[in-house]
Amino acid sequence: MIMNEMQLLTWVRGPGLNLAVGIFVLGVLWRLFEIFSLGRKKDLSAPRAAPGASGLRTILRRTLPAEGMLKKAPVTYIAGGVFHIGLAIVVLLFAPHIKLIQSLIGVSWPALPSQFIDLITIVTLVAMLVLLADRIMNPVKRFLSTFEDWFTWTLTFLPLLTGWLAVRHLLLPYTTMLALHILCVELLLIFLPFTKLFHAFTVFGSRWFNGTVNGHKGVAV
Amino acid sequence: MSASLEKGVRVLKEVIDAPIASYFNSCVHCGLCAEACLFYTETGNPKYTPIHKLEPMRRLYEQEYTVLGRLKKVVGLSKPVTDAELGEWQELVYNSCTLCGRCSAVCPVGNDIVYMVRKFREGMSASGNAPEGIKGAANRTITIGSPMGVKLPAVKAQMKHVEKDFGIPIPMDVEGAEYMVMLSSMEIMNFPEYLGAIAKIMQHVGKTWTLCSTAFEATNAGMQIGNSDLARVIVSRIVEGAEKLKVKTVISPECGHAYTALRWEGANLMGRPFTFKVQHIIEVLGEFQELGLLKTEGFEKDRLTFHDPCQLARRGGVIQPQRNLMSMVAKNFVEMPDAGYMNWCCGGGGGASAIEEGEELRLEAFKVKKSQFETVKPDRVVTACANCRIVLEEGLEHYQMDLPVVGLTEMVADHLVEKGA
Amino acid sequence: MSITHDKEFKLALASLPVERQRQVAVAFCRRVQDLSHDVRVKSALESAGRVDITEAELLMASHAAHAARVDSFAQCGRDVGWTAQAGHFVAKAAEVCVRIAVPGENIAWEAAMQTRLARTCQTVAEGLGTENTEAREQYRILENFLQS
Repeated sequence: MIMNEMQLLTWVRGPGLNLAVGIFVLGVLWRLFEIFSLGRKKDLSAPRAAPGASGLRTILRRTLPAEGMLKKAPVTYIAGGVFHIGLAIVVLLFAPHIKLIQSLIGVSWPALPSQFIDLITIVTLVAMLVLLADRIMNPVKRFLSTFEDWFTWTLTFLPLLTGWLAVRHLLLPYTTMLALHILCVELLLIFLPFTKLFHAFTVFGSRWFNGTVNGHKGVAV
Repeated sequence: MSASLEKGVRVLKEVIDAPIASYFNSCVHCGLCAEACLFYTETGNPKYTPIHKLEPMRRLYEQEYTVLGRLKKVVGLSKPVTDAELGEWQELVYNSCTLCGRCSAVCPVGNDIVYMVRKFREGMSASGNAPEGIKGAANRTITIGSPMGVKLPAVKAQMKHVEKDFGIPIPMDVEGAEYMVMLSSMEIMNFPEYLGAIAKIMQHVGKTWTLCSTAFEATNAGMQIGNSDLARVIVSRIVEGAEKLKVKTVISPECGHAYTALRWEGANLMGRPFTFKVQHIIEVLGEFQELGLLKTEGFEKDRLTFHDPCQLARRGGVIQPQRNLMSMVAKNFVEMPDAGYMNWCCGGGGGASAIEEGEELRLEAFKVKKSQFETVKPDRVVTACANCRIVLEEGLEHYQMDLPVVGLTEMVADHLVEKGA
Repeated sequence: MSITHDKEFKLALASLPVERQRQVAVAFCRRVQDLSHDVRVKSALESAGRVDITEAELLMASHAAHAARVDSFAQCGRDVGWTAQAGHFVAKAAEVCVRIAVPGENIAWEAAMQTRLARTCQTVAEGLGTENTEAREQYRILENFLQS
């Protein structure tokens, strides 16, 4: 069945979105359960009291580089930081996105001017390209990378790119570009719980475990 | 699947918990752990990337504990873990990892990689893939009571020697003493002066102490090889001894991994909390200092720096006391770059120095310590771990660096004011 | 004079000037010299034994003895070789003998202690237990030395 662009747009906004969000939500819930239901043994050793050393502290602190590390891998830290922050800004502070969220859960907030978002998107796309280049050129990243790394990079890059092209009315007619953008987002949602992208959720648990174990010993990490 | 591989796989399945699952699922292949690991930074070989050292365990986790992984296994799309692979991984898990923990300190998603290596070693050792050097240590621990085969008569000989040298009696099996002092084979063999320093200090502060004839050995080869059953044997001897002698505190010697084994893993191995305190000797000295019990005179005048043993500082939480003690007896104490929590490993911990075939790698990894010393240019290096001392001396000798290494406890003891006769 | 226990032994050694201490120390080492198979140890002791040794030569011998000591450490976790460990303490003693000593240091006593450890390692290695007569022999050496 060949759709025209309007039919595609309607599909991705309707059944497509339902399917993707459904898989995403169920996937996230299942994966969280799969991981955290394994539990962990209680630590019977006597703790060392240390103010400020805790799982919560580590959740926040790990966003910044450890002492002495920034100079060892500036590209990873800087491009990685720019990418994450840029993505968050574009997703959460762009007016059409806020409208969508409002229609889903009834909450909204002020948007940033669209020229600003446009600039951030470009910066974020560039950061992603830098990260891709680094993944290819850095011997450790190259050594570690598998199909999943390239795949998830693409899954993350495409929504940004297609969204930007759509807003700018470039490459393809707006309706098609928009449909593609939403389709790319849906693909991202579907694969997120089942790939390394799931770190978006597990990072809190991982940092918390690490911080708690070290906090027990009195070391704020 | 061979019987030993089956055993290893079974053990690995048992040790995988929520933290480990969370860690594997959080890894985004950023490679930052490699930039923290001296075995990568000094060799440039990406195979030493810490998270890569866990690859067989990760696949096992996926195949056993995730729906997708199990599906992949069923349709034949997953690569099983084999004997050969575990054999190949021995170098990565033992020779090129000292359990120093820098990787865990830098991972941006919070992965506690050293924790995972420690658990992976359980499977490696159960499947017979631990290095010969550590296997021997583990065996001797069970049969002789000490990983290096040091028996009670040897300890008693050292005691007598120290008594003569320092003129202070060394108590053994004294019930009700406040402190029970543990030793590591390394000290008994290589640094008997350490025991003398303890005797001097205890006499100075007026605290009662004792050695224990059935539990003098602190070195825990079980910890290093990754065999919890073995680690438990050693810890339970210590617990029995401490409870029999009714001591308040057990002192772990200037040995990093002994402290980790006893202080942080001991209660979990025994399945119950301890009825006594466990402190590293540096913690004890730090406490004495804070209470004003240490009266010292004179200062070391040369330029000194401190090497933080990984298991004491980063992994043990004892970071400031050694600095306070240094300031008490040294006028010219300077910190090396990355000192304290992020200090670099000497390269010999975690059983690594018992692995003969790993010596070349260790010496290469030592270049990071070398560069720290070249930056800070000390006259002497002070540390608080018998193994670090030896590994540092060997590394310095290899690179023809004329730099003496001394122990902190001995240095403090040297400056104590002699009370009375 | 007759020396019968460590207190007077230590005092008598301390009362000697550094150069004489060095000679006594070397005499102690000679008794256990064969427990080390390291040529650097032998050469260090030979140098130390020369009355006319210069500071520069001491420094060189120091480096050799140091290397021998570091090479002979018992490695953490490895099976202790008591024979080899005896050699380690001989190296330690040799290092003491060629140290450029500061007045106030009792290098002869230190050497005596290290050589006794070497002897203990040897008797343990031979299954003869940890008791030995090294101390008494050292008293004898000192007595003879003081008379000459």
